[in-house]
Amino acid sequence: MKSQYFAGVDIGSTMTKVVIMNQAIVASVIGPTGPEHRKLANRVMEEALAKAKLSFDDITYVVATGYGRINVPFADKQITEISCHARGVSYLLPEARTVIDIGGQDSKAIKLSNGRAVDFVMNDKCAAGTGRFLEVTAEGLGVKLDDMGRLSLAAKNKVEIGSTCTVFAAQEVVAELSAGMPLPDIIAGLHEAIATRIYGMARRLKIEREVALTGGGAKNIGLVKALEVKLGYPVLVPPEPLLTGAIGAALLGKDIVKKAAESGISLPRSERRLREATLFG
Amino acid sequence: MTQEKKPEKKPEKRRTATEAASRIGAMSKAMIASVLQAKEEGKPIAYTFICCCYDEIIRAMDIVPHWVENYAGICGAKRDAQRFLERAGAENFSRSLCTYALCGLGFDAWREELGEMPPNPPWGGQVRPNMMLGSGQILCDPRNKWYQAAQHYVPDVPVYEIGLPWPPYEYDYDYRQVQDYYVKYIVEQLRGLVEFLEKQTGRKMDWDRLSELVDLTDRTWNLIWETYELRRAVPSPMGTGDAMNTMVPIVFMMATQQAYDFFRELNDELRRKIANKEGEIPDEKYRLIWGGGLPSWFALTDFNYFNSKGAVFPVETTYRMVEAIYNFDIDLTKVTDPLEHIAWRWVKYWTYWYDKARKRPGSHPDVERLIQYIEDYKIDGIVMHEAFSCRTWHVGLIWQLNLLKKVYKNMPSLILESDIVDVSSYNEADTRARIDAFIDTLEAVKSKGR
Repeated sequence: MKSQYFAGVDIGSTMTKVVIMNQAIVASVIGPTGPEHRKLANRVMEEALAKAKLSFDDITYVVATGYGRINVPFADKQITEISCHARGVSYLLPEARTVIDIGGQDSKAIKLSNGRAVDFVMNDKCAAGTGRFLEVTAEGLGVKLDDMGRLSLAAKNKVEIGSTCTVFAAQEVVAELSAGMPLPDIIAGLHEAIATRIYGMARRLKIEREVALTGGGAKNIGLVKALEVKLGYPVLVPPEPLLTGAIGAALLGKDIVKKAAESGISLPRSERRLREATLFG
Repeated sequence: MTQEKKPEKKPEKRRTATEAASRIGAMSKAMIASVLQAKEEGKPIAYTFICCCYDEIIRAMDIVPHWVENYAGICGAKRDAQRFLERAGAENFSRSLCTYALCGLGFDAWREELGEMPPNPPWGGQVRPNMMLGSGQILCDPRNKWYQAAQHYVPDVPVYEIGLPWPPYEYDYDYRQVQDYYVKYIVEQLRGLVEFLEKQTGRKMDWDRLSELVDLTDRTWNLIWETYELRRAVPSPMGTGDAMNTMVPIVFMMATQQAYDFFRELNDELRRKIANKEGEIPDEKYRLIWGGGLPSWFALTDFNYFNSKGAVFPVETTYRMVEAIYNFDIDLTKVTDPLEHIAWRWVKYWTYWYDKARKRPGSHPDVERLIQYIEDYKIDGIVMHEAFSCRTWHVGLIWQLNLLKKVYKNMPSLILESDIVDVSSYNEADTRARIDAFIDTLEAVKSKGR
């Protein structure tokens, strides 16, 4: 029997992620979303297909998720990122009971049971508590976003950031820099500020161990450590925390196909043609 | 000028499940028109707030109420509030204040500056009143200041402010020990209001008519309670979306035959629907409670979106501002003095869930109410709305939810975040993405139990 492949496409506010799976991950690609790239999810998909040495016809089922999931015309189904993160994390880290996902423009906490999301809380109203907070403040400090985590590890006396608003925090860090505070201490203070916000949100759920951290925020070692301090124990981080949603999407596609086959149902599928995703069509 | 802009996009109308709810728009419009007409005829008009105990009193004295919160809600529902909010902002009111108040104050400021209604006012506009009747109760502090602020624009319009307290909840204390003091205080407050109204209008209170209206209100409360209890049926014939319409006769038309007749007809309609097994939607999958928070008046179609996912709301706490009078622990029919009767009804309403809460250590009356509804209405999940500008009604919702989850550990919950009037706080795509995710969790929990 021909091997079946499943694709998960996760269009986040900052990054677009594609994963192709059969029994395991065959290929994955991460590319920026951005205003122009939003229209071009198919390019990331093409890249993933090329990496996997597959054609689009080889893909049995495509599930789109994330912020831009409704704008993927070649997807067979759209599933919320909450469900996809839950499925992806349960696959990668079966011991996890809570997921904290720190994305570019939102953050969320998800309670897991048997691989499914059974409750969640989310912040998509305020940039503080999301990756955007670090993006804005990194710019103010003249530091690359990717370097923030590493730099913060050298902190001796972290600075307390009083502003809970991203815009004012950006001003505050510039003032701290002008006052001669060491960069690592300021960045560590920023990590603590964002960790406090995220922890406050996540506590709306009853946080149960083990806690998995996903999204771009999980790639920042300083933020991971700040959250561990808040929680009082270590967190789990998957090998590539940006991919959990796309992995979950591919797995849910696989589940759907399996269930349909068991029930003898033929699934509707989109045309196997890569087209530009549009915001309006 | 931006303030003169009309709303660019006409808001989509929410589809109602009941015929009765579909008539509310016309009823509300007629209510506003009747105030405009009364103004032309020189009748006394009062700015009024909902749930202030004075419905029967103003009706008995033929004072025409203009419900300022209602008018702000109408502006919000028509997505035409922004220009009034901006006007209030230009008057230096903070944007983080109650947006009902800001909308009303912005309208007043503009109307008084022009000496006429602002251009194209929704449904004819908010008239200049003859008096303003206020009460913050003990839960809504903006209402204590609203009319004081309005007097900047209508300095010649008198304000009468009454206090309407009720005994606070204490787990180790029976409020009945102090309830008489509260009733006595409220009666004095209402008596003062009657004197004020007599002085303003030059009319004397017709106490017999007041007693008749008190009796009508009791009967209406009972009928509303009995009507809403019909929604326990599976499938449920009416949801919270419709209840956000049928709140109009509850809070803006109380002590009128129109309100009673409306609920008589709704009651009949729901009974017919139940007999025909006709639910709010054809395939009811998830039964939800609207567990707190005022709605986003500009986004009521979100209730239709829930419906499209198989979710219905058989019950809500918001605007269900009545209990069955015959369920109170005193026989109100024996309280013949109308002001005393109103005061007892008030105290008994607000303390109704106290005894239940005291039986469950660590609980709270608001949580007990949720528990009772969850049981009675066979609820699968809870939805709350945090409106950023309405702190007094919305602070504490998360705390209530946390207490509730000690009882229902696996009940999915959804917190929506927006506002009552300010459409700039709302993002339809994000809201619906949250609803989608919530539906996923409901399905996950339901399938786990199967």
